[in-house]
Amino acid sequence: MSLALIVILPFLGAMLPALMIRAGRNACALATGTATLLAFALLLVHAPAVVLRGEVVQAGWQWLPGLGLNVNFFLDGLGFLFATLILGIGLLIIIYARFYLAKEDPMGSFYSYLLLFQGAMVGIVLSDNILLLLVFWELTSLSSFLLIGYWKHLPEGRQGARMALTVTGAGGLAMIAGMLLLGHIAGSYDLSVILQHGEAIRESELYLPALVLILAGCFTKSAQFPFHFWLPHAMAAPTPVSAYLHSATMVKAGLFLMARMWPVLAGTEAWFYLVATAGLLTMVIGAFIALFKDDLKGLLAYSTVSHLGLVTMLFGFGTPMAAVAGVFHIINHATFKAALFMNAGIVDHEAGTRDIRRLGGLVFLMPISATLATLAAASMAGLPLLNGFLSKEMMLHEAAHTAWAGQGWLVPLLATVGALFSVAYSFRYILHVYFGRRRDDYPHPPHDPPAGMWLPPALLVVLVVLIGLFPETMAGTLVRATAAAVIGGPVPDFHLSIWHGFTPALGMSAVAVAVGLLLILSYPRVRALWQAGPHPEAKAMFDATLGGALALAQRFTHGLHNGSLQRYLAFAVAAMVLAGFVAFSGAPHEAGTRALLPMQPVAVVAWVLLLGGCMLTVVFFRKRLLSVLVVGTVGLIVCVAFIYLSAPDLALTQISVEVTTVILILLALYFLPKESPVSSTVRAQPLRHLRDALLALAAGGGMAAVSWAMMTRDGVSLSDYYLENSVSGGGGTNVVNVILVDFRGFDTFGEIIVLGIAALAIFALLDGALHGRVGRRLSAWTPDLPVSVDRHPIIMVVATRVMLPLALLVGAYIFLRGHNQPGGGFIAALVVSIALIMQYMASGFAWAAQRVRVKYHAMIGGGVLVAVATGVGAMVLDRPFLTSAFTHVHLPVVGEFELASAMAFDAGVFLTVVGAVMLALANLSRMGRWTAHRPVNKMAMDVDPSAAPYREHH
Amino acid sequence: MNFVVPDFYPAAAEIFVAVMALVIMLAGAFARSVRWLAYTLTQLTLVGAALITIFVPSVDVSYTFSGMFVSDLFGNVLKLLIYLAVGVALLYGRGYLADRRMERPEYYLLAVLMTLGMMVMVSANHLLTLYIGLEMMSLALYGMTAFDRDSVRSTEAAMKYFVLGALASGLLLYGMSMIYGATGALDFVSIKDALYFQTANKTVLLFGLVFLMAGIAFKLGVVPFHMWVPDVYQGAPTAVTLLIASAPKLAAFAMTMRLLVFALFELAEQWQAMLMFLAVLSIILGNLAAIAQSNIKRMLAYSGISHMGFMLLGLVAGVVSGETHNAITAYSAAMFYAVAYVLMSLASFGMVLLLARAGFEAEEIDDFKGLNKRSPWFAAMMMIVMFSMAGIPFFIGFFAKLAVLQSVVAAGYVWLAVLAVVMSVIGAFYYLRVVKVMYFDAPADDAPIHAPAEMRVMMSVNGLSIAALGLMPQGLTYLCWIALLASLT
Repeated sequence: MSLALIVILPFLGAMLPALMIRAGRNACALATGTATLLAFALLLVHAPAVVLRGEVVQAGWQWLPGLGLNVNFFLDGLGFLFATLILGIGLLIIIYARFYLAKEDPMGSFYSYLLLFQGAMVGIVLSDNILLLLVFWELTSLSSFLLIGYWKHLPEGRQGARMALTVTGAGGLAMIAGMLLLGHIAGSYDLSVILQHGEAIRESELYLPALVLILAGCFTKSAQFPFHFWLPHAMAAPTPVSAYLHSATMVKAGLFLMARMWPVLAGTEAWFYLVATAGLLTMVIGAFIALFKDDLKGLLAYSTVSHLGLVTMLFGFGTPMAAVAGVFHIINHATFKAALFMNAGIVDHEAGTRDIRRLGGLVFLMPISATLATLAAASMAGLPLLNGFLSKEMMLHEAAHTAWAGQGWLVPLLATVGALFSVAYSFRYILHVYFGRRRDDYPHPPHDPPAGMWLPPALLVVLVVLIGLFPETMAGTLVRATAAAVIGGPVPDFHLSIWHGFTPALGMSAVAVAVGLLLILSYPRVRALWQAGPHPEAKAMFDATLGGALALAQRFTHGLHNGSLQRYLAFAVAAMVLAGFVAFSGAPHEAGTRALLPMQPVAVVAWVLLLGGCMLTVVFFRKRLLSVLVVGTVGLIVCVAFIYLSAPDLALTQISVEVTTVILILLALYFLPKESPVSSTVRAQPLRHLRDALLALAAGGGMAAVSWAMMTRDGVSLSDYYLENSVSGGGGTNVVNVILVDFRGFDTFGEIIVLGIAALAIFALLDGALHGRVGRRLSAWTPDLPVSVDRHPIIMVVATRVMLPLALLVGAYIFLRGHNQPGGGFIAALVVSIALIMQYMASGFAWAAQRVRVKYHAMIGGGVLVAVATGVGAMVLDRPFLTSAFTHVHLPVVGEFELASAMAFDAGVFLTVVGAVMLALANLSRMGRWTAHRPVNKMAMDVDPSAAPYREHH
Repeated sequence: MNFVVPDFYPAAAEIFVAVMALVIMLAGAFARSVRWLAYTLTQLTLVGAALITIFVPSVDVSYTFSGMFVSDLFGNVLKLLIYLAVGVALLYGRGYLADRRMERPEYYLLAVLMTLGMMVMVSANHLLTLYIGLEMMSLALYGMTAFDRDSVRSTEAAMKYFVLGALASGLLLYGMSMIYGATGALDFVSIKDALYFQTANKTVLLFGLVFLMAGIAFKLGVVPFHMWVPDVYQGAPTAVTLLIASAPKLAAFAMTMRLLVFALFELAEQWQAMLMFLAVLSIILGNLAAIAQSNIKRMLAYSGISHMGFMLLGLVAGVVSGETHNAITAYSAAMFYAVAYVLMSLASFGMVLLLARAGFEAEEIDDFKGLNKRSPWFAAMMMIVMFSMAGIPFFIGFFAKLAVLQSVVAAGYVWLAVLAVVMSVIGAFYYLRVVKVMYFDAPADDAPIHAPAEMRVMMSVNGLSIAALGLMPQGLTYLCWIALLASLT
């Protein structure tokens, strides 16, 4: 339980500073420190068991067992070492920051972020579940983002924070994939289980992808080449943050994970070449760049990069002894580098600048700081009697015995080069800041800081010296315990001591110190040489990459989404053609089994007409009026086809619908441009037309092929059922009508309601439109074609008058015979509607409207009511809703005909459809009337044959 | 032919909503001056429907209307979530509409009809029922997109939405007719049986499946049928965008499940391959294109495309070389993802609505500059949403991604998981940019945020729920799992 408490304490503590800041800055710092101290104390309680006896402490419970995500913690040597670093150095940083932060900096949020980060870090090192570890891992990225961007007024701070988050966040996400793979191979997401499956994991074929993805996370976090560039830019953060995150803890998370996974992943060739090479390159490149940085923190940042590379390389070697050296160097680096960062902060704080070129000779003004800095930097350079020396010797020793691709000289040489640069920049830190001539143009008069600021680094420097002098006593046990956890097996026999005799490592070390000193003594000349060379700037590259990605995305998006509907449709159709083709290529290709019918001349003629109609539509697509008419022929051919295939009922429906829609479109077209814009012509956009033509051919051809395939095969037909049951169940021989009013009576009932509502909606819309803004626009609109002089031609008026009673009779006939022969309420309604509409067309809307006594609204409602009544009638007779009854009646003249209750229902359908069609069409024509601005004609036609010539518009 | 009165109980909620739609229409016609009436009635309708859905239908799977309609736990859970999403979306949108003089009763009427359409889709057990529900939802959405009739952009968006939607509907119908031609059945149970006993013509089925898939892809808004998404999201009034981007995604998920899993499960190997294709393209295109956007509605549109692709990954992992033991887990991961996405989508578009005021749309990413200075609380809410969308731990989006990825890995598609993760890494970039803009840039305008109290409260609840469900997703995970288990087996 106490393990979980160690992790939770900083998170709980993160709430304290925000609350305590009202009580003053000291109280705030104290509260923060207390939380950390408590956690640290809890950790130290476990020290005897873990460090001395090598036990592993575990605790946990299930969180999301379904996802394999458990809150399991465990503490072994490795976790203990890192937790000690995180909490111990964290405590020092908290004290230091209390004095470092200026009065105007919001201290409460700073400490909150810091504790948040601390909790996340502790979470990483104590997690026993890789998914939980991931969660904490991402949390460190986030909280460090907040800390780096803490000084919001500095643009570098914001940019640095963003870059750090982008790089480490991206690496972390890549690691998710790696961890998922790892869990998949091992069959569990618990670390303690995974650590026991090293053999199986290394042999798995997923080993390499998992390794690469996990390393991507580690390398980005630990700023390894080629991801090293973000760390120096994150240095815009306040110095306590740099000291804590970028030297002691966060950047070491990558190292921690490599160490943690060492027993599982290390030891293969891929591991060696990936990890050791990246480490080696990082070590040399980082040290080289550090030498020429003028910003103190920049120098330390690159030096950190270099030292992280050193440890990475050691882990990469994959030998137990190298791992021991790596662990030891982690401890040493944390002590001297955190001390140096705090020292850089002191210089910045007291002298007002971190620019090395403006410093020098501070030793007399700041003796305490100078002493501390000299000791820490000397340790960084690897001078004897200090801890840096010991681990560097071990590193050189390992490097001297490692061959890279069979080349035994390569690694030792590069390691020595790295070491000598390291010596050089360490001395530069000492000599160019503290020694040399005293200046009189410091931005601030420098002096030693208050004890609160120099005591924390002093404590670390004491450790540096003590470990350097008595390595075995001070660190031997801890290193052994940690190394045991890293290696996951027996620890090689070693003894930490200052003197190992004259070894190759000592020689390399001596060369490094000598050449390094030489470099720094002739620094101006070296620098001039460096200045002559090229300086690839990683930040510029990063920005360029991001900018490039942005530009690419923009071009990409524009190509896909330029807002053109044609293009979208083309994409959709093309995708469908492609998908259809894929389905087609995967299907069996033998021909259908049905025998083909002989070709009839009528069918050929219809086919040619159909083709012609389609082609003409395409040719005349700009002349809209014409294309509507031509499309109408297509509908008529379809209608003929229905007749030919013995479906007169369908044909009747088809022709009525066809005529009605064409009239509707023509009415609408009255208000629209008669020609499509010039920009849509073939000449204007030949390529687009070619594309569309090809797509149309492919899509149409595909449809035809599919239809062909369907029709040449036997299938199940639904019609047999209805044909068999039409007479017995519904009392009619016209199957379509029986289906409509009987089998599917309820559906039809719903449909007529929808139709009625639609008509009412059209009425409401148009009516509303005529009175609003649209109405004013319409009334200002003038037709773009000349208006016919004969508005109400006599021939048409007379003809429609004659046709009306005939049409009504036909309607009645069609209606009555509907149940047995082609016809029915729906078709009858369309026929009657067309006849009525003709009256409107002949004599004008207003003239006809004045003479209509029936309200179409009422007709719709009445129709629905009649249909309901039929259905309810059945219920009154104790039968289910809409049950049909039929009987045969014999009338003297007419002969025998059948009277079905469905007929009343059909009457309802009739009324509703007439009402709906009339309401919709009549109102569209009313709109035309609205724009005409003419008085209502008194006469039915232009010419009154019974009187003198009369022109209505005079 | 006798007419058998169907059992109305399983469809009680649908009937209630349909009746309420009429009530709202009448209220809109006769009590226009009572401004709050339509809105209040709509919210009451949703509450009432929720109560009916919880208490009336039995827990078991029950069919009615001659097997055209099914009531099961899967459908009921999704319906409840749909009520919630619509209710929240209407609440967020109300002030926005009022500012623009668009808060008319018809808007709420359309919203209720849309809800009804979605309910029918969710409970469909028949190709035609599904189609009718789909059209009911879509037509209402087309109308709402064009609700700002004087805005050229809205009208154009609605036009595109309608034309492309009509094409997709046509394809879907064509596919349905082929499925019918091959199996001779329209209801899902019979289709499933026909497939199981292998009486269907495989070639025709496959073609039918391809066309069905096109319709599904359009409704989900995944590549290559995603073209309408950015234009419509950007063009529609934000309140409508919010509606389009939330509940209909659940309905589309239900439609996908009903068609592919409930009816065409025997063809899983085939449709999984197609879905994989759609998912991969969507994740890639959505994430890459989102980077370039400066309009947040458009950015969220592309992000939505990629999220839908991610969700489809869960459906890809159901059947592995004939084995179905992974299926329920994988499908419930997809369902969880859909729910999580809807929650995040509500919150993100809700933020846009929160910042908008009369004459100001707040739809550019730059409009979020310095939000932290103007309102730290809502900046934090937006940060939660963005982090969650990016898939950063401790938020619901992370678990959604994790669950889907795990089922993908378990199905053996390692490359797919890796690709999805790599693309989410790219995706993280544009989400984090919003966070950066909110926290580190100076505010471009200092106007205080005006929003009614209920919206502030709801927004906070929404944001916090994303965080809370990130910490405790067990309940929702279990609900998805049990819903599928109870309905599928």
